[in-house]
Amino acid sequence: MGARTRGRLGGRFWRRLRLVLIALGAALALTACADEHPLDTLTEAGPDAQEINDLFFPVLGVAIVVFFLVQGAVIYLVLKYRARRRDSAAAATGGDGDGDDLYGDDEYPEQVHGNLRLELAWTIIPTILLAVISVFALISLVELNEVSAAEDDLRVTVVGQQWWWEFQYHLDGDTSTPPDIVTANELVMPVRQQVPLEITSRDVIHSFWIPRLNGKKDAVPGRTHPWVIEASETGRYMGQCTEFCGLSHAYMRMYAVVLEPAEWEEWVQGQLVDAAPLEPGEPGYEGQEVFLANCANCHVVNGVTDVDLDDQLDGMDDYAGANSITSALVAGAAPNLTHLASRTTFAGSIFDLYENRAERIPYLEVAERGDLNRGDLEAWIRNAPERKANDADGARGMTAFPGLTEGDIDALVEYLMTLR
Amino acid sequence: MTTTSEPPLQLTAGEQLVRPSTSLGVFSRPRGDTGWKSWLFTVDHKRIGIMYGAAALLFLVIGGIEALLIRLQLAVPGGNVLSEDAYNQVFTMHGVTMVFLVIMPMAAAFANYLLPLQIGARDVAFPRLNAFSLWAFLAGGIFLNTSWFLGGAPDGGWFGYAPNSGLVYSPSNGMDFYALGLQIAGIASLVSAINLITTVLNMRTPGMTLFRMPVLTWMLLVVQFLLLFAIPVITVALFLLSFDRLFDANFFNVAAGADPLLWQHLFWIFGHPEVYILILPAFGIMSEVIPVFSRKPIFGYPFMVFSGIAIGFMGWGVWAHHMFTSGMGPVSVAAFSLSTMFIAVPTGVKILNWLATMWGGRIRLTTAMLYSVGAVAMFTIGGLSGVTHAIAPADTQQTDTYYIVAHFHYVIFGGSLMGMLSGIYFWWPKMFGHKLDEKLGKIGFWVLLIGFNLTFGPMHILGLQGMSRRIHSYAADSGFNLWNMFATVGSFVIAVGVLLFFWNIGVSRRRARGAPPVGPDPWDARGLEWMTASPTPTHNFDRDITVTRQDEFWHRKWRIGEDGKVTRIARSEDVAHDGSATDVHLPSPSYWPVVVALGLPLVAYGLIYNLWLTGLGALVILGGLYGWVFEPPDDPEAHAHDDHHDADPSDDSGNGASGGGTSTNGEGGPDSGDGTRQLTGAGVAGGPSAQATEEQS
Repeated sequence: MGARTRGRLGGRFWRRLRLVLIALGAALALTACADEHPLDTLTEAGPDAQEINDLFFPVLGVAIVVFFLVQGAVIYLVLKYRARRRDSAAAATGGDGDGDDLYGDDEYPEQVHGNLRLELAWTIIPTILLAVISVFALISLVELNEVSAAEDDLRVTVVGQQWWWEFQYHLDGDTSTPPDIVTANELVMPVRQQVPLEITSRDVIHSFWIPRLNGKKDAVPGRTHPWVIEASETGRYMGQCTEFCGLSHAYMRMYAVVLEPAEWEEWVQGQLVDAAPLEPGEPGYEGQEVFLANCANCHVVNGVTDVDLDDQLDGMDDYAGANSITSALVAGAAPNLTHLASRTTFAGSIFDLYENRAERIPYLEVAERGDLNRGDLEAWIRNAPERKANDADGARGMTAFPGLTEGDIDALVEYLMTLR
Repeated sequence: MTTTSEPPLQLTAGEQLVRPSTSLGVFSRPRGDTGWKSWLFTVDHKRIGIMYGAAALLFLVIGGIEALLIRLQLAVPGGNVLSEDAYNQVFTMHGVTMVFLVIMPMAAAFANYLLPLQIGARDVAFPRLNAFSLWAFLAGGIFLNTSWFLGGAPDGGWFGYAPNSGLVYSPSNGMDFYALGLQIAGIASLVSAINLITTVLNMRTPGMTLFRMPVLTWMLLVVQFLLLFAIPVITVALFLLSFDRLFDANFFNVAAGADPLLWQHLFWIFGHPEVYILILPAFGIMSEVIPVFSRKPIFGYPFMVFSGIAIGFMGWGVWAHHMFTSGMGPVSVAAFSLSTMFIAVPTGVKILNWLATMWGGRIRLTTAMLYSVGAVAMFTIGGLSGVTHAIAPADTQQTDTYYIVAHFHYVIFGGSLMGMLSGIYFWWPKMFGHKLDEKLGKIGFWVLLIGFNLTFGPMHILGLQGMSRRIHSYAADSGFNLWNMFATVGSFVIAVGVLLFFWNIGVSRRRARGAPPVGPDPWDARGLEWMTASPTPTHNFDRDITVTRQDEFWHRKWRIGEDGKVTRIARSEDVAHDGSATDVHLPSPSYWPVVVALGLPLVAYGLIYNLWLTGLGALVILGGLYGWVFEPPDDPEAHAHDDHHDADPSDDSGNGASGGGTSTNGEGGPDSGDGTRQLTGAGVAGGPSAQATEEQS
């Protein structure tokens, strides 16, 4: 061993380290060039996500230190204690030439069986380290479960189902009464205000997750899980169902749209207004007829479909039994379309409703200033299962409408665009 | 075959062993030790182990193809290699296959082959049950995979969460195949666990006290206890699911008042110990390989054993960390968060002890050692990411994202599979009498290691960037494109690494023809399994080995002087048995384990398609059990050998060893009355031994 080994070891070690660093730098550079990450958990936009990251980053830091210590030790030990080569011996006995499979009789090091103190040390030190971390973890856990919103503040019931999200707004915070607003896929909420959620499901287990605002919470049928969400900046935050929920699990997205308080009030006032039934001769009347004949079995437009909202919701609360395929899940449990045109996405937020969303039109003005994404909308109405796998025959998801003519579809789209 | 009429139990001089008639019509026993029948009806733990391993490798290819399909689908956003439905089936079967049909049977292969050898036994306690375990496992695995051709594979995820696994949401027969197939495989694991626990507790060679057992044997023992208690839980869960699906029960029907979290608790009470069932055998293997190629004993043997036991115990108290977001109360979350964090302690102890074993050693980077060191390094990464989501608040961000996918692949691929590959390279010469090619092996290792990190390293980033698991597609503007492409490329590098491994098997096999034999102990190893010829003779050891200390075999080759210097006192060839003994009684092969195992999938198919078939399957099982019970103890034709005994019963008392008694194979030996401690291959369930016991009493 001695100086010769150390010299060789040193050279090799630094060469390898340099390679690793170059690779690491290249990887980081590539990441920086990559697109925006709308679901990024590490760029928080709310106090809850902040709390989580404040806990995660130090732990990750400790983990990275331990990582380098252990990997460094592995590399160091292998290089330092690697036995000398015995090329001739290996060649003589048919080894692969570098002699790694052969030892000489004189190659036994000191036989150490253990060291109680050392082993106790590396049992106790990690225990203490983890105990310290767990104190912080428990503190965060308590803080994340605190609800600061008052009893009569806004409260939203979140209902997951295959494969979209429904948001029922209780402006007075009382979830025992029918909601004031029912909407789908886009959770519009005021900035810098904690919004308590009650999360549930109508069919299988889903998981509600807006990563930049808070961690996830499962939506379990038959249970209601409290959760909170709060954004410190206005914006549009992407969400995704994260509990595997069948065919179109990937296509169960959503957005949290965070508005300034004044805009939020304006949005609420707009949503509280029912749609007015159109009279013959008004633009969109033909489409309304098509809608009533084909879509109103499942979709609600407040004020037009002559279903009382309370009855509607009573029906929705009946969970379709796991063995009763006949109790159609879709009846009364398709997205409420009263204000469809005021939203920016449809079909579980997988399609943009307006093509020029990227131009960052203020949320409240999309219905006026948006260019309709007619292609996707018409294709969706024509044959939804083709665009997003579902099991409409088994009453899960939107069915195809082969009976609609192109004229019907044009009329329908015209009608839907009146639902602002 | 080296069978004789010598029963495994010793008779006092002059006593005659009375044999019942062995000709009961069809109830004769199969014979011969070559040809496919000798494999189909074998009860030899080594052949069973090899078949377990071969089956696991076959399923590895199937599960690997499924993985490649997943990666192809996700290579670019909006991929259309697979439909949504097909994708769900493929990822479900990838998980089910890799967990239940690759890692578990691979561990079973090592357990079957090595465990009796490492404790100096002739076979396992119940050889026919052992054969049954193998065939039941294979039946379950094949049954599961036939679902591909029968209307669709399971599509509810390997975790099968209710109610998504129910009939409404998964209307194909896939989840029935899942529930029933895992049930069959579970029977195999349960039976095998009982068998191996009995073997370790009762059949250790004289002097092999529990704390002289190799670490691998210890880890396998812990795993068998985990299986013994975990399999019943999944059995219950799968029964409930099957009854819901097949007979309209309401266990998970929310409309009827069920709480779907019941399934999650049952599944994870099984599922988390299962994680340790997957990793502990690899820990054991690494604890055998690293000392040999560091030329040092394992550092801190008691810590290694007790940390394994501690993991086994603590593994029961962490299951709900899979459910931090499922809606449990904060108190449960806090409790499981704490227990999960602290299970990192015994795991960390193991890693540091492996490093300390290498410290000051003479490290030879053989392929086996590379894989073991690689497994230490990769498992560490999985362990550290595990700590980051043991913290429940952080887990609410990470759970069900690719961060978790990265984490458990570092544990199960980087830890378990690499550890087992290390074991394959290490024990291959013992099993087949020739080494695997080292050069190809090393190239394969580096290809696999690079491919592995290329595939699963970026998944950490993807997960933190918010990519959900189990999604068949992602939007182009989600920012996941780059790392997914990396991962897909990496998965094909892994595939090349796996192909190199299979290529190596073929090349090495061809090269071994006509090459000089590898000898009993090609690595200068420590365990008893190296103290007999390679490949291991059917009867394992020629004589009883009396153990006087840990690493008995090593101490018979080397002496540690007063000054700590190690000097050779014997060559391996001189210490090891040459496999020439002919007086060893071995259990005869049997038809019945195969028959009983064959009945299981019939019952399962019947439950799905037609209850008459279930009846038929039940009859096959009953018939098989009937034959099993009435099977004659031995094959009368096999009594050709002379009933002679080993001439030198004291051969194996060891160098300079005085304690522990002498060999006990001779009739006159001091232990001849003690039947249970003998090298009994026949075991309690097998014919001859049971028969002899009866007649003695």
